[in-house]
Amino acid sequence: MEDKSRLTNSESGGEKKVPFEKAPPLRPFNADLAMRVAEDTQKLTQGKLSEPDYYHKYHDAYVKEFGIDARPVLSSDTIGKASSDSILTGHMSRRTLLKLGGVALASAAGARLLGGRALGAAANLGGNSSGFPLKENGEQAEGAKRVQMGMVIDLENCDGCLSCVYACSNHNFNSAGVLWLYILAFKDENREGNNFLVRICQHCANPPCVKVCPVRARHKRDKDGLVLTDYNLCIGCRYCMVTCPYGVNYFQWGEPERANYYHPKLTDYRGRWVIGNPPKGVMGKCTFCPDRQDDGRGNVVCALTCPHNVLHFGDINDPNSEPMRYLAAKQKEKGGNLSTFRLLENQGTKPSIIYIGHQPTRSAKAVDGPVSYADWGLVEKRLDVLQGPKPWFSKAFGGTQ
Amino acid sequence: MRARSRVETRVDQILRPLGNPTIKYYLTVAIAGAGLLWFLLAWAWQLKYGLIVTGLGDWGTTGGVPWGIYIGSFIWWVGISHGGILISAGVRLFKLKVFYPVARLAELLTVGALTIAGLFIIIDLGRPDRVVVSVIRNYVLTIQTSPLAWDLTVITLYFIMTATYLLLTIRHDIYVLRRRLPARFAPVYQLLTNGYSPEEDEKVSRMAWWLAFAVVLLAPFLLHGGVIPWLFQLIASMPAWYSAIQAPTFLSIALTSAFGSVIIISYIFRRLYGWEELIPDKAFRRMGSVLALVGLFFLWLQLQAIMTGAFAAPVGVRTATEAKMEDPIYWTAIGLVIAAVLYLGAQTIWPALFSMKRVVLVSIIPVVATLFEKTLFIVEGLANPLFDIYKAVPGHYIPTWVEISSIIGGVSMLALWFAVISKVLPIIEVEAEHEGQEE
Repeated sequence: MEDKSRLTNSESGGEKKVPFEKAPPLRPFNADLAMRVAEDTQKLTQGKLSEPDYYHKYHDAYVKEFGIDARPVLSSDTIGKASSDSILTGHMSRRTLLKLGGVALASAAGARLLGGRALGAAANLGGNSSGFPLKENGEQAEGAKRVQMGMVIDLENCDGCLSCVYACSNHNFNSAGVLWLYILAFKDENREGNNFLVRICQHCANPPCVKVCPVRARHKRDKDGLVLTDYNLCIGCRYCMVTCPYGVNYFQWGEPERANYYHPKLTDYRGRWVIGNPPKGVMGKCTFCPDRQDDGRGNVVCALTCPHNVLHFGDINDPNSEPMRYLAAKQKEKGGNLSTFRLLENQGTKPSIIYIGHQPTRSAKAVDGPVSYADWGLVEKRLDVLQGPKPWFSKAFGGTQ
Repeated sequence: MRARSRVETRVDQILRPLGNPTIKYYLTVAIAGAGLLWFLLAWAWQLKYGLIVTGLGDWGTTGGVPWGIYIGSFIWWVGISHGGILISAGVRLFKLKVFYPVARLAELLTVGALTIAGLFIIIDLGRPDRVVVSVIRNYVLTIQTSPLAWDLTVITLYFIMTATYLLLTIRHDIYVLRRRLPARFAPVYQLLTNGYSPEEDEKVSRMAWWLAFAVVLLAPFLLHGGVIPWLFQLIASMPAWYSAIQAPTFLSIALTSAFGSVIIISYIFRRLYGWEELIPDKAFRRMGSVLALVGLFFLWLQLQAIMTGAFAAPVGVRTATEAKMEDPIYWTAIGLVIAAVLYLGAQTIWPALFSMKRVVLVSIIPVVATLFEKTLFIVEGLANPLFDIYKAVPGHYIPTWVEISSIIGGVSMLALWFAVISKVLPIIEVEAEHEGQEE
């Protein structure tokens, strides 16, 4: 019941009812705190409360409740700097603000999961008992300690609302039709209704794009296994796009349509420009928001936005991380009959996204989802808008190209 | 004395292009220059606005194809560059006297075509300005895994080897002909023959032999039967590419286009400078026969690919093969090569069918057909990825004027290269055994 009240609040972000039974409580927690935080989050989105105040207000309560507070709790001297980093600036449309209100809500609600304390239920996860794919003998010992940020994506909860797609696109100021996160609706034989596939960069443990890059612009960050593109190094050969089996890369064919106006060249903790919209002639793709990993927020915008508890972001090599605990809990709930998969696993890429739900079969056909990309002001097929300027001589030939 | 006058005539003939330019020459340079200028304008346009001015797009949700004419042209030009050096190496290693007269022309073609091929990689890049710094910066790492880094390496190596080969063999000729070469290029000759003494000939000849030997091994094993097809055949996400047969297929296509080009260029020079004696019909007949052979090899490998892809292949491979088989451009290219192989094969067996004009006309066919085939290979491959669940897959690609201009630009560059080099250097070798009499 406690959980229900929390999620009812998240519905105030204008989203549909959540099939809540699918998200079991992972541990008892302070429901009052969640309620108060949720109310203040609404104030935050309405502008009645400043972001630093908001974070400060519950800092002690968070520490008491969870042991740590992983949110960007700011000291007074960093407030000025951080406010420019805020996702809540005056430049945004009301609609964006509403969406991001959802982000903040989910953030507050999800923060409880960032405590990192071991749970009995999940402690035995790992080894080969989980039935997860991709357990390779030689790599267990080493791989178990290595941090690999990834996701557990619960496709059973997805209703194709595209909130995450919209949030990602706007957060990264991507050009029209650049869908780092894409929801693919499909019909499959013997399966009723729409199925969804959340197609995102798989941040593979064995990424072919990194392998083929002739300049190591595409690289795997040691700290957390993010697969990133160094926008200062990339020569724009597009070999990474060619070799990626998932089709997650989007090249900046012309000048970027939108600039990231707070941080035109947002760098990660190593000082490398790997975040946000790439410049002209350079490759881009989902980054897993490295700035948010570096400053301790430890979350990604799409997962924060999702109103349906679909995207669970965290270290998939750590059985105590939120996504793995979610997976374990769900597995327990289903009595071991949970269908999970990793996308195109036989390509040997070792993807870091674990899907809950049914993998599209070869006969799966992409269909229009319940919410269209146009409804969100997004472009689904980029080729339709990918038009260069008309050449200077076009007038001489009647003005049409 | 008879021999002496024959040699004189031969040298006179060799020196014909080095005389004062004619109107025709200026006209050729003007047309090729205009073609190059047009392309440079198109490229400037692309540099200004980005690759958005091409017909390319991302594969996946976008519905595009990320590589097109530029990469197709790149492979095509590298392929053409093989013919030259292999003919030349054949002359040196296997004493194929019949190709002797066209050996240097072929070497020049190699150097020119390889340069143009390299340029096409640069044109294809989104940030060509970074290529040197970025590649060098992480080269130690990338060379271990990136087929594109292998490509850059082997092409550079190949360029150095062929250029060295050309330089080594040309020093002797410049020295021998030094009094008859146009005085205005004296500094060039001085530079090229720097430190030359006739005693080095024997040593140089041995060096050239080993270089030719290395090139003969390098081309099939490492270049067109190696790193160039590996760019594609190692990519498991594109079923049309992912096949061990790519390397021999690429090599067969390279040789087909290469021999075709050598025939065309040799014919143009023979026609322009009345070199019927220097490059006899026999040379063309033989080159035509070789072209028939490599063309047949090419067709045979196409048959293998289609049989494997169409019979009971995994779905991805079958989809890609079906897409290829439904494409009229593919069948046009294949049909043209079949026609060329039939004629060239027939004239090998039945000499009465041979005529210079026919052989040359028929040689143009595989050269053009391979450009189509190569571009189609790239585009069809990328349009039909393994992960084809997207609505926008298969992707579409319609080249724009910028990309088509690049083909004109490449051909113009080669024409200019030959126009310039033929005015400066003797483009047919002076036979070594006559050198004593020549003086």
